[in-house]
Amino acid sequence: MILASEECDTAKEIICAPSNVVELFEYKDAVFSIGPLDFTRTVILIFLAMFIVVGALYFAFRKPKIVPGKFGVVMESLVSFVREDVAKGTIGPEGSKYAPYLLAMFLFILVGNLFELTPFINFPLTSRMAIPLMLSVFTYLIFVGVGFSKNGMSYLWGIIWPKSVPVGLRWLVGLIEFVSYFLLRPITLAVRLFANLVAGHLMLTLLLGSGWLFFASVGDIGPRALIGLPWFAFGLLIFVFEFVVAVLQAYIFTLLSAVYIQTSVHPEH
Amino acid sequence: MEEIKGAIALIGYGLAAIGPGIGIGIVVGNAIQAMARQPEAATVARTTMFLGIAFTEALALIGFVLFFIA
Repeated sequence: MILASEECDTAKEIICAPSNVVELFEYKDAVFSIGPLDFTRTVILIFLAMFIVVGALYFAFRKPKIVPGKFGVVMESLVSFVREDVAKGTIGPEGSKYAPYLLAMFLFILVGNLFELTPFINFPLTSRMAIPLMLSVFTYLIFVGVGFSKNGMSYLWGIIWPKSVPVGLRWLVGLIEFVSYFLLRPITLAVRLFANLVAGHLMLTLLLGSGWLFFASVGDIGPRALIGLPWFAFGLLIFVFEFVVAVLQAYIFTLLSAVYIQTSVHPEH
Repeated sequence: MEEIKGAIALIGYGLAAIGPGIGIGIVVGNAIQAMARQPEAATVARTTMFLGIAFTEALALIGFVLFFIA
């Protein structure tokens, strides 16, 4: 953002959109290619996140022990948190069937989000629209599929012709419910994760970057370079806040996926 | 008077943040009240609070995204 804003004429325009905004929604030039597959930075990070998640699970549960080590305790508490609290707590007893999906989702998003705060990567995987969108499409397919396979066509009729509403209002409530179920749910699920991570990434870049810019130009501006100090301190404050956001957004995505699946498993509630 | 410059999308984002700001305040306030009245139900209240925040926050975040793509 800072590098991009150097390109615009500050004398004429107060605000200019950064030139690399398109990068958030489209994919950019590849680092390397194998045949028709382009490997961009994002794709490399997807594979890295996958290997981290699979490796962590493999090393934690390769040889299950009665008394697990420190790493085993952390992974076990994560798994039991997703299975007991999120899956069974939201969906009910049959929630353990969806626990593997929710766990994979949670760990992948968590690792992808924490890339934002990892030194030398500093790039949240989920700040490219394609990735949260794809993840939310998975959730969408699962909850629509579960709804139809569990309840048949009465799932759809229960949404667009709700019995608990007075007859005169049923078409209106049904329309709103239909749009909210099949259009707004997947979009907001993806946009929530995406926008939170983009906002955090921008804040960190702006604050830490402008702090660094002031410090680096100490030769030109002399003692005024100290202006960078509050920026840098505020940036570090946001850094801690972003850690909370990264964990919380992974949790919220998983929780909402579970809630959406729950409404398909028990559509009356 | 100087001509006002800048992106009108910024104002749109500001407007989009008003409602969710009030809404999250209401959600968290009532969740704290519920937790204070019934500490044994704090876990349920907290989960529901995060859900409520997530739903309310979505509007502000959509405004944020529209600021970029507008």
